[in-house]
Amino acid sequence: MFAKGTSNMQAINALKWWGGMLLAFGLLGASRLVLPLPFLNEVVIYSVYAIGCNFLIGRVGYISFGQPAYLAIGAYATAFYLFYFGTNPYVGILVGVLGGLVMSLVVGPLFVRLRSDYFAMVNLALAVIVFYLMQKVLVGITQGDNGLWFLTRISSTPVLDLTRPNHFFIFALIVALLVWVFYKYLDDSIYGACCLATKVNENKLQFLGYNNFSIRLFAFVIANTTTALAGAMYAIYLGFVSPEMASPSRSADPVIVTLLGGVGTLFGPLVGAIAYTGMKDVLSKMIGNWELFIGFLLVFIMLVADKGIWGSLEPVLDKWLFRKKTATAINDPGTRSND
Amino acid sequence: MIRGHEAMISSQLLISGVIFGLSIGSIYFLLAIGLSLCFGLMRIISLDQLLYYSLGAYLTYTVTLMTGSMWIGVLAGMAFSGVASLAVERFIFRRIYARDPTFSMITSFGILIGGVGIIKYFWGVVPRPVEVPTLIQVGIFGTEIPVYRLIVVAIACVVYIAIWFFLHRTIVGKAIRAAIEDVEHVEGLGINVSRLFTITFVIAGALSGLAGGLHAPLIMVDPSMGLETLAFVFMVVIIGGLGSIKGTLISALVVGQVVSLGSIIYAPMAQMAPFVIMLLVLLIKPTGLYGSAVISR
Amino acid sequence: MSGEILTVSGLNTSYGEAKVLFDISMSVGKGQIVSCVGRNGAGKTTLLKSIAGFLKPKSGSVTSDNTNLVGLAPYDIAKFGIKYIPQDKKVFFDLTVRENLELGSYATKDYNWDQVLAYFPKLELLMERKAGYLSGGERQMLMIGRAILGSPKVLLLDEPTEGLAPGIVTQLKNTFKALSKNTALVIVEQNLPLVCAISDKVYAIKDGTIVAEIVDKESIRVDVCERYL
Repeated sequence: MFAKGTSNMQAINALKWWGGMLLAFGLLGASRLVLPLPFLNEVVIYSVYAIGCNFLIGRVGYISFGQPAYLAIGAYATAFYLFYFGTNPYVGILVGVLGGLVMSLVVGPLFVRLRSDYFAMVNLALAVIVFYLMQKVLVGITQGDNGLWFLTRISSTPVLDLTRPNHFFIFALIVALLVWVFYKYLDDSIYGACCLATKVNENKLQFLGYNNFSIRLFAFVIANTTTALAGAMYAIYLGFVSPEMASPSRSADPVIVTLLGGVGTLFGPLVGAIAYTGMKDVLSKMIGNWELFIGFLLVFIMLVADKGIWGSLEPVLDKWLFRKKTATAINDPGTRSND
Repeated sequence: MIRGHEAMISSQLLISGVIFGLSIGSIYFLLAIGLSLCFGLMRIISLDQLLYYSLGAYLTYTVTLMTGSMWIGVLAGMAFSGVASLAVERFIFRRIYARDPTFSMITSFGILIGGVGIIKYFWGVVPRPVEVPTLIQVGIFGTEIPVYRLIVVAIACVVYIAIWFFLHRTIVGKAIRAAIEDVEHVEGLGINVSRLFTITFVIAGALSGLAGGLHAPLIMVDPSMGLETLAFVFMVVIIGGLGSIKGTLISALVVGQVVSLGSIIYAPMAQMAPFVIMLLVLLIKPTGLYGSAVISR
Repeated sequence: MSGEILTVSGLNTSYGEAKVLFDISMSVGKGQIVSCVGRNGAGKTTLLKSIAGFLKPKSGSVTSDNTNLVGLAPYDIAKFGIKYIPQDKKVFFDLTVRENLELGSYATKDYNWDQVLAYFPKLELLMERKAGYLSGGERQMLMIGRAILGSPKVLLLDEPTEGLAPGIVTQLKNTFKALSKNTALVIVEQNLPLVCAISDKVYAIKDGTIVAEIVDKESIRVDVCERYL
């Protein structure tokens, strides 16, 4: 079955993917004309935030309730740089990413060895610690709850002036696209297969000679560095950071966005980010009680629609768009091939 | 830092710190027991226990206002939490027992957050004070200790003994212990494990409500109390090892002391210390001090 | 043969997408010892689990005393009188022998241990010992002793003699013969001599289907069974 249609399969897959990407980002760019810029910027940053989480849950099988920790580390690292040292936003972002990288490398080896439930809890604990650190312990340099303001310190840069929202939007789109490409490449590589395998059957993978620990550690570092990148982007965009970013009440955010979009799917994080940000905007005007809504949404998703929006849509779209082109068995993990 | 002539005061601080730590540890213990039992038996992470904790505290507040007696309030809080957990078990958890623990984690987190919303709706965001039922102080080793704190510790001891008795001397408790080892084998004998699950879940909920009610006079009751305590309960549970009652007790005691004595020495570090301990424990034993190595199911 | 105590008809069971049992039909009469033989992975354990309710068959029926058992919870089926004794020889380690038996009594409301102790007198000596400290043979005795409380209709035994010393196996063989007077036994076994010594009927299972049903006692011999594996 595989030999015959493989190259066709790959071509179609590549077409599907690039087509989808360009369509999605094109739409996003075009929607600049109709949708408000703050909304779009938030969506793009959120989707970068979510893609790391999506990777952790969907491909490695780990839930983390502590993503705000890495988000905050990235944001604060950027903030420190811009507040105390320099003014170049690009360097600031780099510093933020580095902060995330270092953090994940430090805690990773310990966290990744843990069972999935301990892992989730330990990450949440980390988020709380980061929160306390920024709020109280390091109040000298972080100014605690007042936050750090550095918008005016960011210098204009040639080509894309990140202090201007519409330029930032373009920058964010490019970054998001690059991140997406990176993850897609990762997914398609042997490493991506390893991740999936480690999620499904650890022992077997070990017997094949792969080192589960390194696979997981690498995934952990990548995912959290991506999250730190999102944090850095947030910092630049807002020109401001505060401990609230790491507060435990925000731990659900990336998980919800990921679930909403669809775990482990390609466009899940993007769809989820759009849906989530949209809901937040619309609903916070209507009902004051955001927590109630989030809570019910989470439970609802888990009980009823745990594939998420895109996760449920994708197979339907697949069949509809590609029914004519591929008569043979489909590459989609959801379908069965009759051999 | 403690120096020179302040050394005399320091022993008083120490003693009250220890007692304080014991009472905090007692609260953590009551919460962590619920989490541990639910995990050991049903392989779920029931973060919503923190919601029953909050509900226990809020009900205590309201009922105390109505009746003037904090103890009636606590009982009301326990009862209400028990009922709430019963409802949640019936309508939500029953459907997800078969899935893996992280699934339950997300779901229970949703319940917790949603519950915070409900609390905000009924009680608003302003913190509510609950009066300590007795302001009597007792002299222990030359230090004045609030009797209330000793009562809290005493209640936790009673609960520990009661739970031990339940699990080791009653047939239902033995069935639960057996089911913690292997649910299928218990089912195969003809015992209704569904009922065992419900019983355990409600006990956990009631204990969490008790924890909330007892804690209420010691802190300000506010909607985010559940989330703030969440991380500490996590640390207690992880250090002790999910599923072990003994581990939970020891761990709660340790964390309680660390937080309390730590805050005497250097307040911000007090919050961080349990985290560091947790990391150290995990380095040596990734499943916690008394945790079991396998989650097979 | 005085009547059917357990009838399986057209049973199909799958693990997720993978089908394991194909159209299995078998019958067990009162007081019979029915054995199922087959290679590893043939589906024998799946069959027992499907009957006991731990797996839900996709189609087919399991009836006993005019009651259809498919779809009932495992504990209801056990209460009904069909008890499953798994392969793992796992008793409740932290509980004593006495407490293990107490659980069996609690489930069935049968507090008379005379029968159990008659079959397994050794258990009397081990009453206060924690079950985790028992030997393999002793554990098996406990499992079976526990299960016969409440006078079940059928015992489903999954490789009961696996890993046990030959002396114990002989003991069990005699115990099975004695048990079958009151309780029908369905035994999944790899030990062919044992099977041939005590069975009234043998089913050979291969790749999830029944390839042979040997009812003639004369024909229940090791070489005959081997032919179907």
